[in-house]
Amino acid sequence: MLIAPISSGLMAGVTRADCITSGAYGANVSDSKKPSLLDLALGFANIGLTSVGGAAGPLRYVIVKQRRWLSDGELAGLFGIAQALPGANAVNIAVMLGDRFAGPLGPLAALAGLIIPSLLIAISLAGIATHFATVNARFAAGEIGVTAAVAGIFIANGTRLIAQLWRGTPDLRAAWRCTRLAISALGIVLVAGLHVFVPYAMLILITLSMIVETRLRDVASH
Amino acid sequence: MFAQADVLLSLAWHFALLSLFAVGGGITMLIPQMHQEFVLQYHWLDERSFAELLAVSQAAPGPNFLLVPLIGFRVAYWPGALVSLLAFLVFPVAIAFFAGRLLHQSENEWIARLRQAFRPVTAGLWIASGLVVAITLDHTLVPVVLTAGVALLALAIDISPLWWCLGAGIIAAALA
Repeated sequence: MLIAPISSGLMAGVTRADCITSGAYGANVSDSKKPSLLDLALGFANIGLTSVGGAAGPLRYVIVKQRRWLSDGELAGLFGIAQALPGANAVNIAVMLGDRFAGPLGPLAALAGLIIPSLLIAISLAGIATHFATVNARFAAGEIGVTAAVAGIFIANGTRLIAQLWRGTPDLRAAWRCTRLAISALGIVLVAGLHVFVPYAMLILITLSMIVETRLRDVASH
Repeated sequence: MFAQADVLLSLAWHFALLSLFAVGGGITMLIPQMHQEFVLQYHWLDERSFAELLAVSQAAPGPNFLLVPLIGFRVAYWPGALVSLLAFLVFPVAIAFFAGRLLHQSENEWIARLRQAFRPVTAGLWIASGLVVAITLDHTLVPVVLTAGVALLALAIDISPLWWCLGAGIIAAALA
């Protein structure tokens, strides 16, 4: 039923053991009062407004710690599904949780909370930024500095994930670990070097990666 | 002001298609694609606007995918923002809705395998996005040094990305 532990790398402190002990979703949710549409909207508004550079931390804080809608293990399971589906993780979790707690209107309430307050702030900030960048050369230079930092953060995040992949599988032969690195490297060359249409690049890379992972499982099971 | 219907349709089509590929690493992996299409191909945004919206979407409170309605707003004001946002959400929301009802088992072997397989892909495409963004900036010393510096420092020091954005912005403004 449950397969070998695979840490998501994003949900620090959450282990597969939590999933097993807590059982199916909603096991301890029925004990407590289910959140209303307003609760969902407010909870997800909090998640949206505290998300800077990734929603994983705020999702865990609000859903597990603050409002106790799910246990750590239940959220980790939901996060795993959300990551495998298209779309932002926070959106997918808002939809799945909203539907589970409040029926078909639940996703609408959760999404409205997640998106509307932050969108209004972001559009206002973008307008202010454009205004100041037009009238003030120093502000315009600062803005380029922020974008340069964003580029640096993307590079650091990718490099950190590669390091996790390398360190996370010490039992594998170096050749297999290098195969994973080769997939990352191919992605960099295809997109940044050759400007391949990103969806095509992703299809090529995920196909290769699935072949490698399937092969790795066969090797590991022997 | 009324945006042209063909621009709105085009925004809707592009963001609906992009949303299906926002898997594994979210919107970040799609930034090179958006830059290619919206800046280089359609000229909806200039390089400076694209960099500005990217900076706002990362540094402002809110999910990173708000870059999508921000681009829509810059291209066609509120109609553009709403059309872009809804187009980007419609397929993922529909898929998550049914997946949430069907996948009650907390972990499914194929989902776990897919998730694992996405990790090297995500890592590579995140780095590619960083490089593409860095290349679109002015090729002067300051942005290049800031990108490289933040890339190295953020690896060693794990703090909120907001601090890197703030620090780099202040340094760049001071040196201007």
